[in-house]
Amino acid sequence: MSLESLQDIWLTYQSTVAFIGLNGLLALSVYTTLSCGQLSLAQAGFMAIGAYASTILTFHTGLPFAVNLAVATLLPALVAIPLGLPVLRLKGVFLAIATIGFGEVVRLFFVNLDFTNGALGLTAVPQRTSMWMIYAALGAALFVLWRIRGSRTGHALEAIREDEPAARTMGIDAARYKLAMLALGASFAGLAGALEAHYTYMVSPSTYSFSRVVDMLVYAVVGGTGVFYGPVVGATFLTALPEVLREVSSRIGLAPGPVRLFVNGLVLLLVILFLPEGISSLPRRVRGALQARRRARAS
Amino acid sequence: MNGPVRSLAAAAVALLAFPTLSSAETVKIGGAFSITGNAAAYGAQQKHGVQAAIEDVNKSGKLKGITLELVLEDDGTSKEQGIAVYQRFINKDKVSAIIGPTLSNTASAADPIAQQGKTPVVAVSNTAPKGITDIGDYIWRVSLTEAQVIPSALAIAKAKMGFKTAAVLYGNDDVFTKAGFDVMKAALEAQGVKIVDIQTFATKDRDFNAQLTALKSKNPEFLMVSALVEQAAAIVSQARQLGWNVPIMGGNGFNSPKLIANAGPAADGVLVGTAWNKASTDPVNLAFIAGQKARNNDPDQFCAQAYTGVLVIADAIAQAGMKGGRDDIKAGFEKVKDLSTPLGKFSFLPNRDGNHAAAMQIVKDGKFQILQ
Repeated sequence: MSLESLQDIWLTYQSTVAFIGLNGLLALSVYTTLSCGQLSLAQAGFMAIGAYASTILTFHTGLPFAVNLAVATLLPALVAIPLGLPVLRLKGVFLAIATIGFGEVVRLFFVNLDFTNGALGLTAVPQRTSMWMIYAALGAALFVLWRIRGSRTGHALEAIREDEPAARTMGIDAARYKLAMLALGASFAGLAGALEAHYTYMVSPSTYSFSRVVDMLVYAVVGGTGVFYGPVVGATFLTALPEVLREVSSRIGLAPGPVRLFVNGLVLLLVILFLPEGISSLPRRVRGALQARRRARAS
Repeated sequence: MNGPVRSLAAAAVALLAFPTLSSAETVKIGGAFSITGNAAAYGAQQKHGVQAAIEDVNKSGKLKGITLELVLEDDGTSKEQGIAVYQRFINKDKVSAIIGPTLSNTASAADPIAQQGKTPVVAVSNTAPKGITDIGDYIWRVSLTEAQVIPSALAIAKAKMGFKTAAVLYGNDDVFTKAGFDVMKAALEAQGVKIVDIQTFATKDRDFNAQLTALKSKNPEFLMVSALVEQAAAIVSQARQLGWNVPIMGGNGFNSPKLIANAGPAADGVLVGTAWNKASTDPVNLAFIAGQKARNNDPDQFCAQAYTGVLVIADAIAQAGMKGGRDDIKAGFEKVKDLSTPLGKFSFLPNRDGNHAAAMQIVKDGKFQILQ
């Protein structure tokens, strides 16, 4: 294969590679709150705050991009703390509904903000995001979550996830841990929002609707929330799948259309049915099956 | 390796390296449409339009020795897939020009990729006033914006009905309805119609009685509505249920057979501006409609615009002296003038937006008919 055709392949799929990284970061933002048993669906709202904040800074100041990204990372966390104080008293579906409410409030705020062109949003955002930034951000997020796991904090989070009253009787300050994880998830989402806005040349409120946060949740669940890298596996799988199917259908001469969507849904269904703990549990399952077979043969 | 085999291999390599020495040149055109997702209804019409146009151009022999080939892809009504499709068209399929994508939102994200890749794009359904052709000199547009359609359609209606006062109702939380309202307000003011009241609603609203009653109490002679198709039918039927019988003119959201299907007889008399005059007896338009009938498709405006997109690219190739390279087509666009299309005589404006006559439709007997 010549160098030129390799370059063409890279150019053809570079956006898919970029979106794998961005969606991975978003999936991790949902995972952080899930890791202490909280189903928060405010992530699209945090993402919008990060995206808009960084874009406004790009348009109206000459600040370096790194400063924009830092603001986009910190601002959602600052918003998450006062939001979390009352909202995290809720549990289960009530928390989910309250956080959906927050996401919608943020979206409608930007719809009505004339300063950012309302529902039209801001277009012609300069492309300042490079591939390495996306993967550096993803790597940093993974590093943080990897360090938390197995630490004192990690054990506390697991305890809260399994049984919150029991964790509290052991002296774990559950409210503080939950708030910290909400803020951490918010900053991941904000950073992803800023990187995406400067990669896709635009921000508009419709990008941050409820369906976006459902996508993030699906990445996390399909990848598996048992391990910290599971959501990234899910995001990789679900972002690449439509493009893989596009390539396959063009090779076999299938006209583009609902068939691709159908196969996409079918694969998703099969994964959820047969790998309820997510794709990241596949190696363990295979290992388990092999061991069981070996044992059966030995006996 | 011995002699004959080696020379055979060399010949094979030479053949592979220079495959296009023959006169039959193929020019690839990428069509990126929303075949699945929210905008799938539009994408299906666009697909029919583009496929028919490619066949018609190839059959006509207008492009001597050049055959157009369509590469169709689905953008899934998403920015993410729209960008992926564009990168595929530019780097893998190596198309000479791109038609699409269906929605303005997708275009804002994907068209900059084509601009960077120096590949000409013809937008056939993006109606957002700003942020499409502004992206750069490779982005051209066939579809008229609402800012182009509404004023000329309103002028037709005003000449016919002679109203002097109007009220406006619009959705203030959606890109298109908000932009449509801005255009309506400007058009009414420019044509000397007094706006007696303005009311708003949100996309999810289903009950418009409060707003309609408020507007009715001001007794305007004309009502303009900027709404998506989902709300359009409800607004029209609720206005008629209130016993309010003023003429209603809608924006682009009303431009759908769904309006008539959902509002039933209440839709009778509703006015909608359109970029495509389907009653035009121009031979190009008649041939276009006959071609769509043969494909078992009932064409709408989106179909006619997509068809025109291909005609414009074909004309650009001809104008460039039968050359189908990316920059040849871009240069050719500048020379497209008064081209006969189903939309009428088509030319580009200096800012690369399209220009042709708009028309006014009225719903009569459960069908859109042209208000003559």
